[in-house]
Amino acid sequence: MFNINLQSRMPIYEQVYKKVIELIIKGILVENEQLPSVRNLSKELNINPNTVAKAYQELERNKIIYSLSGRGSFVAKTNRNQMKEHILEEFDVCIKEALQSGLTKEELKNRIDGVKL
Amino acid sequence: MIELKEITKKFDNVVVLDNIDLTINKGTAFGLLGSNGAGKSTILRLISGIYNQEGGEITVDGDTVYDNVETKKRVFFVNDETIQFSTFTLIELKDFYKDYYPKFSEELFEKMRSTINLPKDRKISTFSKGMKRQAIVIIAIACQTDYLLLDEAFDGLDPTMRIIVKRMLVDAMLDRNLTTIISSHNLKEINELCDTVALLHDGKIVFSRDLDSVKGNIHKVQVVFPQVSENLPQNYTIDELVGEGLEVLHFEKSQSVYHIIVKGDTEIIKEKIQAKNPIVMDIIPLTLEEIFIYEMEVLGYDFNSLENK
Repeated sequence: MFNINLQSRMPIYEQVYKKVIELIIKGILVENEQLPSVRNLSKELNINPNTVAKAYQELERNKIIYSLSGRGSFVAKTNRNQMKEHILEEFDVCIKEALQSGLTKEELKNRIDGVKL
Repeated sequence: MIELKEITKKFDNVVVLDNIDLTINKGTAFGLLGSNGAGKSTILRLISGIYNQEGGEITVDGDTVYDNVETKKRVFFVNDETIQFSTFTLIELKDFYKDYYPKFSEELFEKMRSTINLPKDRKISTFSKGMKRQAIVIIAIACQTDYLLLDEAFDGLDPTMRIIVKRMLVDAMLDRNLTTIISSHNLKEINELCDTVALLHDGKIVFSRDLDSVKGNIHKVQVVFPQVSENLPQNYTIDELVGEGLEVLHFEKSQSVYHIIVKGDTEIIKEKIQAKNPIVMDIIPLTLEEIFIYEMEVLGYDFNSLENK
């Protein structure tokens, strides 16, 4: 579930951060659900526990998760619209770059229609 | 916390470490990178008190290490050369180290030994290179020191053993705030394991920072400009394109395509180049391997020069 790409250029903590948001948006992690512990997740992914802790701290700072001392981290009351907005902002950046590079809106629309999951 | 202040180390008249400062915080996994002969092993041997420095001061949690038995009990060094005492069996070797390290855990040792099925009663000399490595690494972890120094220790281990060691390190970091210092040429491994890295070259520290900020601060920019007229590509110099205030590590141009490696804030870079109306502009973060190569290139350690000689 928590697959990350160790070959990716994106920092590992950022990948963990984004993965949690993705799982919440998809409804796989729901409100008040417990996240894997720092220990379990770092062992599962074979990464540094400080890296996982850093991602969790960042998620907590942005009120996406909350932690109870001694019990672990949990999904906060989720504002899915806010999270979708977060992803759309990244989308806007790509679109802007594509438009600046000379692509037309029509081409981009067709592209979206053609994307398969 | 380990602190090296103005450390100079010489062998005969050869300066191996040249007045370096380095701080390694408690609980981090610290990666030491560097060219061959840069001084990585020397740093580890100074921290573990095997060598004494010619100048400067090294402290581990405020105490000196050289000839200091109490500090040495808290530091375990795994040498990059396969171990001595080859007439010992694994158990004899374990007992030898157990005498020196008071927190040694038989339980932990046996748990790891039986997982990898390492023979107890055979002489170490009959072990393969990788098995010798396994032996010393499981002893090192079982010693439960506050500081664990691994000098290219992962290099001889098989993938399963690597995962076992990494998981033991995760537990040790969370349970007893272990600090690990790893020197390796396997940058993929450093990227996964470490949160802080230092790059060494020629006895000096090039940088020492947390890994994410290292990776976030250096970018590969690929940019293409329209031709001025047919068959006449745009010709920008470094200054015209990147301007002052940004550090350019590498600048290469072929026809209308520019490859630039630059340090600094992405937004500033983007803004400057965008003003010249490129057709294509890609800014991507570098991998650790690329960072290594380009930082070294600036210092004159450059694989391209092989072809120009």
